[in-house]
Amino acid sequence: MESLVELRNLTRQFGTFEALRGIDLKLPPGRIGLLGPNGAGKSTLLKILMGLLAPSSGEGTVFGIPLVPGADGEGNWQLRRLMGFMPEADALIPGMRGVDYVSLAGELYGMPRRDAQRRAHEVLSYLELEDARYRRLEEYSTGMKQRLKLAQALVHDPPALLLDEPTSGLDPAGRDAMLRLLLELGTDHGKSVIISTHLLADVEAVCERVVILYGGQVRGFGTVRELCASRQDRYRLQIQGDPSAFREELRLEGVEILSENDRGEMRVVVPAKWITRAFFALAENHGVVIRSLIRDDETLEELFFRTIEKK
Amino acid sequence: MSTDPLKQRITMLRYRPWRGELRGPWSGVLAIARVSLGQMFRRKLFWGLFGFSALIFLFYFFGQYLGVFMQSQLTGETGTVRLGSGVGAVTVRPENMIQALTKTLKMNGSADTFANFIWFEGYILIIVLTLAGSVLVGNDFSHGSLPFYLSKPISRWHYMLGKCLAIGVFVNLMTTVPALLLFLQYGMVDEWSYYWDSFHLVVGILGYGLILTVSLSIILLAFATWLRKTVPMIMVWVSVFVLGRIVAKLIVDGLKFSPSWRLFDLWNDLYLMGASCLGIPLETMRPGPQPPFWQAWLVIGGLCAFCLLYLRRRIQAVEVVS
Repeated sequence: MESLVELRNLTRQFGTFEALRGIDLKLPPGRIGLLGPNGAGKSTLLKILMGLLAPSSGEGTVFGIPLVPGADGEGNWQLRRLMGFMPEADALIPGMRGVDYVSLAGELYGMPRRDAQRRAHEVLSYLELEDARYRRLEEYSTGMKQRLKLAQALVHDPPALLLDEPTSGLDPAGRDAMLRLLLELGTDHGKSVIISTHLLADVEAVCERVVILYGGQVRGFGTVRELCASRQDRYRLQIQGDPSAFREELRLEGVEILSENDRGEMRVVVPAKWITRAFFALAENHGVVIRSLIRDDETLEELFFRTIEKK
Repeated sequence: MSTDPLKQRITMLRYRPWRGELRGPWSGVLAIARVSLGQMFRRKLFWGLFGFSALIFLFYFFGQYLGVFMQSQLTGETGTVRLGSGVGAVTVRPENMIQALTKTLKMNGSADTFANFIWFEGYILIIVLTLAGSVLVGNDFSHGSLPFYLSKPISRWHYMLGKCLAIGVFVNLMTTVPALLLFLQYGMVDEWSYYWDSFHLVVGILGYGLILTVSLSIILLAFATWLRKTVPMIMVWVSVFVLGRIVAKLIVDGLKFSPSWRLFDLWNDLYLMGASCLGIPLETMRPGPQPPFWQAWLVIGGLCAFCLLYLRRRIQAVEVVS
């Protein structure tokens, strides 16, 4: 499969409100983060990718299946067979046992009953819920519920997983375990993982690529590494000596100091046409020694805020 | 999850891909119905109510048996029979008892027997359906289970059909199935010719069952979707059926208005539709006077259409992603 998702000039309107505007996107299989503030269009995009909502105009394919504008999106059920969806909300059926819940999910995906039952046991064991599989869902902890929701998305072994805030409500250890699991599913089992989240650290931990949505438009797309390294105006330097005069001089030269600590480390943004040697010249003038100077990438958080504030 | 690298490696070995053919969305309908039935059958309250409905069935079962038995044993005899002994003894006239069983209570294997039986079962059925509505549908909304269903490769109509099938099982378990058993029983205790002479009654019972299944499941689904929680569900559902009857009775029997006002009583409307399937003449129906059959069909049909429109609007897959 060449591309997982391919969208061309795709729009979605709700009355006069345009939730998505002219989306052009080509996502290869892999681990992809969908970032954006509330109202950016993430949910609408997820619904279109799941075949629950049809685009108003434009065209596109998901797993090679065309998205038909204006159609009853809910009817595109073939799309939902090819992906497992983990909702943000609990979405549990009270009174059911874990294994029955996952097995029901398998049957709803179209698996024969016997296969669904066997597979439910396998997936729950894989997610280390084997001891809890006969418990009623009300007795599950938050972390277990999250893993159970992942189990029901994974039961039919789909090529892609769509995860809506997968670490929502988890403690740090549970969150770490969930992210590691998603990474393993992507790297070791070849699953494509699309994560919609507000948590930039989750995307950084799992995803190779990131799509930044804002105001219904794609504001940034690429690998996390490429995007964060796209700016060549950041440096991380460590100095020895009294930094106050040096710092003042840097400011006068138009250098923005992002952060610094008492160990003499600072992160700076230099103005255009800055020559790296200027750091050394300024340091020498103020009796400061530069012990290290390396080019610094943006963090995903900085990239995100810069991207959404750009226009 | 384990942080031990060795254990993690073993865990990874447990993941096995699944290779098989996925079936269409219709297989999901049966799964939804089966799980819904399981949810109800787990409840003791359901079995308690089902026990009450079984009592009505047993009343008819032994009433029919007694009527036929007494007719065969005592025909031609007059006078009285003393039942029991001592202070509690009663003296009855057999022909009066036969009269009460076969003419007044209509336990005689006729169309009226089955129509009346289903009418009386309605009292318990309405309560069972209240429970079913809040457990099977209301919970999906109040506990957020709806996204679980609708994020799968099924549409809202498959979801609704699965729920309607489960509701239909309860309806038929308490009405059509026991009515058919009563039909079978009457043929056995009376004459074998009853089966082919009255075969149209089987069709009528099945028709009545189908009407109850379709209309009650759609109306219940709409009510449960609207009200969601158990207590409001009980209050409104029972009010519609109980208050509807009281209001209709007051207007028609008390104020002597047109019999069409009896259409407020939804269970009576269903009874009229069932009676038309069983071939019961309108004039012989009790309580009388009754509105024409077509009006009942129109009211229930219109209500079902309205409920379907409401369900189409209210149950939407786009709610899957909040």
